[in-house]
Amino acid sequence: MAGLESKIPVPGVKNHVVEACHHVVKALRASDNNLDANLIKLLSDLETHLSTLGMADTKKVVEDTGFSEIKKRFKEAKKVILAWEQNQSMMIFDAGFSEADLFFQALYDVQKVLSGFKALPSKTSKKEKDVYNQAAVVLDIAMLRLEKELFDVLNQYKQHVQPQHLSVSSSRGKDIVLDESFVSLDDEVIAEATDEQQILGSNNAELVDPLIIPHVKAIAKAMFACDYSQTFREAFIAVRRDALDEYTATTLEMERFSCVDVLGMQWEDLNVEMRKWTKVLKIVTQFYLPSEKQLCDNILGDFEPSSSTVCFVEISKDTVLSLLSFGEAVSLRSCQPEMLERFLGMYEVSAELLLDVVDSLFPDETGSLLRMAFHELSKKLAERTVTTFLKFKNAVATDESTRAFPGGGIHHLTRYVMNYLKLLPEYKDALNALLENIQVDDSIQEKTGQDILPSTFSPTARHLRSIVTALESTLERKAQLYSDQSLKYIFLMNNCHYMVQKVKTSELRHFFGDEWIRKHIASYQHNVTDYERATWSSVLSLLKGSSNDSAATSRERCREFCLAFDEVYKNQTRWSVPDPELRDDLHISTSVKVVQSYRGFLGRNRIGEKHVRYTCEDIERLLLDLFECLPSPRSLRSSRRR
Amino acid sequence: MAPATEFQGSFLSRISIRRNQIISMDVNHEQELEELDYLQKHVSDRFSELISPPPDTTEAPSSQPSDPILSIPWLQNLLDVFVSCETEFKGVLLSTVQISRSPSLERVLTEMLDRILKALDLCNAVVNGVDSVRQSRRLAEIAVTALKQRPLCDGSVRRAKRALASLIVGLNGDVKDRSNGSSSSSNKRTTSRSWSFGQRSNVTVVGGGGSSGHVSKNWSATKQIQGMVANLVLPRGAEATGAAMQVYIMSSVMALVMWVLVAAVPCQTSNVLVAPLQLPKHQSWASAAVNIQEKVGEEMKRKEKRFGCGGGGCGGLMEEMQRMEKIGLSLLEFTERFRFPAEEAEAEEVAEKVDEMDEICRGMEVGLEDLQRQVRAVFHRLVRSRLEIVSVLEQTHAI
Repeated sequence: MAGLESKIPVPGVKNHVVEACHHVVKALRASDNNLDANLIKLLSDLETHLSTLGMADTKKVVEDTGFSEIKKRFKEAKKVILAWEQNQSMMIFDAGFSEADLFFQALYDVQKVLSGFKALPSKTSKKEKDVYNQAAVVLDIAMLRLEKELFDVLNQYKQHVQPQHLSVSSSRGKDIVLDESFVSLDDEVIAEATDEQQILGSNNAELVDPLIIPHVKAIAKAMFACDYSQTFREAFIAVRRDALDEYTATTLEMERFSCVDVLGMQWEDLNVEMRKWTKVLKIVTQFYLPSEKQLCDNILGDFEPSSSTVCFVEISKDTVLSLLSFGEAVSLRSCQPEMLERFLGMYEVSAELLLDVVDSLFPDETGSLLRMAFHELSKKLAERTVTTFLKFKNAVATDESTRAFPGGGIHHLTRYVMNYLKLLPEYKDALNALLENIQVDDSIQEKTGQDILPSTFSPTARHLRSIVTALESTLERKAQLYSDQSLKYIFLMNNCHYMVQKVKTSELRHFFGDEWIRKHIASYQHNVTDYERATWSSVLSLLKGSSNDSAATSRERCREFCLAFDEVYKNQTRWSVPDPELRDDLHISTSVKVVQSYRGFLGRNRIGEKHVRYTCEDIERLLLDLFECLPSPRSLRSSRRR
Repeated sequence: MAPATEFQGSFLSRISIRRNQIISMDVNHEQELEELDYLQKHVSDRFSELISPPPDTTEAPSSQPSDPILSIPWLQNLLDVFVSCETEFKGVLLSTVQISRSPSLERVLTEMLDRILKALDLCNAVVNGVDSVRQSRRLAEIAVTALKQRPLCDGSVRRAKRALASLIVGLNGDVKDRSNGSSSSSNKRTTSRSWSFGQRSNVTVVGGGGSSGHVSKNWSATKQIQGMVANLVLPRGAEATGAAMQVYIMSSVMALVMWVLVAAVPCQTSNVLVAPLQLPKHQSWASAAVNIQEKVGEEMKRKEKRFGCGGGGCGGLMEEMQRMEKIGLSLLEFTERFRFPAEEAEAEEVAEKVDEMDEICRGMEVGLEDLQRQVRAVFHRLVRSRLEIVSVLEQTHAI
């Protein structure tokens, strides 16, 4: 499109322009003695340029036909501009390149008329002054038209890019709710943790149709040249700020909440909002704002780089501050253990953005308010996250029950804690940074042979292990509530096995390390032995006797054994070993012991068949019913009568 | 974690605290009184400075004339005073809490937490409001640029007129909203909706009062202030000399400061209350605060009279905004009667006003940014205080 420098042979006007420039340069020099070096150089360059221009001109100038020529040109320009004034509903851009070019050309003609007059106000006649006055009005009309054009074009051609997999409202499946009894986090919740990693497809998006960029730049150029730069900036800021607001509110569905709102929110709702915030802040800061900054640079960089920064900060400010203030508001809540993962997520994203984009988005004094706000928030989130982490550990360590957990199965605390811990490796960098200086008692002191992964000795690993240690002592206390020793061992075995499984089958294994795993496998195997001793030693001792026992004594022994077996059966079929493999192992090892002893007993003693209530096969089959967590004690008689 | 144990703890602790209290009542009471005296004197001194700066010129060598009430520098002083009172309050409170705790103190502290929370939202709204003032400043700058053109002609006057009209509307955003009968708080969308070109008027409304809603549409600064003072009652009897009184004084100071900010800076207000606080005039600490409250109240009434907006007062009482508006109106009037070419005398007169406007703009440029920063600093300070009070309350429960 047309530039200011386009040459139109209007000698009279040209002279005026050249003279005007001389005046400007002179005035500038006179105005301030401390001009900086750059400006001085610029001025002298300009002077050189002007003088050559003047020389070239003098050759051509035959006579000053000026005024009538000026008037003619001005009339034509005015016609073009006023024609657009009648046509408000249409965008100049839509009329096509040549039409737009005509408009800008006309505008520059008007501007030249004006600057020509301005240089020589005293010499002009009344008539000439009137033309000047009219030209200024036409210029203002054109500027207002361009302001509207800018507004319309930016609005019409804005693009709200939807980053891939954006749907912020769909959360990671079921939410974790922690109530006093730790009941809600079950195994099925966990699976879908990592689908969010690739939110951001491309790093830079076109926030407006690239087609309009040259047009917008031409508007900027014209308005800057005519000293309407402030107006341009105001309009530009207003449109783009509203676009960002609309994007955040509509596309990303981020509501604005006051501190009072956030503190009054139910945890379930807050959880959703915190999750959403984490995504939205990332999208806005890492994806939208860099594109916005680029747009500002694209359009304003050529004219006034400082303007570009100012505009960008003004555009972002409202939305960024409102996003950050949500984070501030959340930090006001008292830290509940269940908030840990959300806080971690929020802290992580703030730390990542600080490292990545914040300082380059808001580099200097202009952006310092926003930059500081980011830093302040991140610091606060770090603080809250650590507090929450310690509260979580404390909650695990101090969880008390008044009654023994029925069936000896896996306690919901164990489930909750282990499944929660599984979510944490994802935040390992954040956690390492946060927990580095927090004192912790770790079960693994120093590197000992087996474990070689550095992650096993990271602050995260030490703290995760210490949480599980806290869990173990809590479970130990809960185990003391059982009056039946055997059930206590089953309970400990189940829970320890569950922990080992969770660690072995997840990222956690790199943190807990082989040594920890080995120790804990040994630990639950020990529970198995303890259980067998506690339950079966006394029962099997009934089968022991001397070889010269009478038939009646043997029959009595057999009867007593069967009664004891019935008792075990009645109790332990209601117990629970949820893991099928562990249950199988337990069945097999019990079966080997019990059936072998029983078979030996039957073989050693001649007991009439009618006195033998259970055959070896019966015992073997019945043992399979143990730990099946049957709802009511199964009557053995009915099971026999099959 | 279990609420039952928590309750038990606090119950037991109360018994033991009571016992301690009885044993050392006299000593503690004396100390409490001392602390209270100290706080009262501090509040009284600092607030008096706001109205008349310390006469001791040796302390302030650059003895400038005092900043006019509600001007940006004055508001900055107000925030300084607030912060210093707050610091004293916390010191006094923490030592008082060490010696005596009572359920009633717990209650007033809990109420204070709620007030701080509202104050935090108000801080956010004020930060936002300052932005809208900055927008007004930019409009004023456009008018200045236009009217500095020489020779002055219809084109630049036309431009100035447009900017000034938008400026005046912007400076009285709240007034305009109400007279239009639209919902009390305009939200962000106003900007685009009223970006009206051509047809109806040449007014471009950028910003102005409440241009950007920082939270939901029905949030209102007025309601927050009302909420802050609703349960603020002067302690009586034994409480009047204890920590409850300290909390009362600080809450009053906080409510007053927030109210002044909301009056000065256009926020999301439905209408600003003329006098939200029933301060105990007869008590020494309150007299300077009452004085300030009355002065701001007068400003409010004066502006109300000028605009004749029935019902509540108007926000945007910031001294610079008012001056800007006054000059803006007279410049607007000039643009309406301007005929080209301008007469010498007229041009000179306008140039003077334009210079004055220019000066206000330049003062605002730095001042507003600093004010914004300071309000944010107050925000963070209040967050910290809130945490400290929470932990005091938690300690009470933990004993």
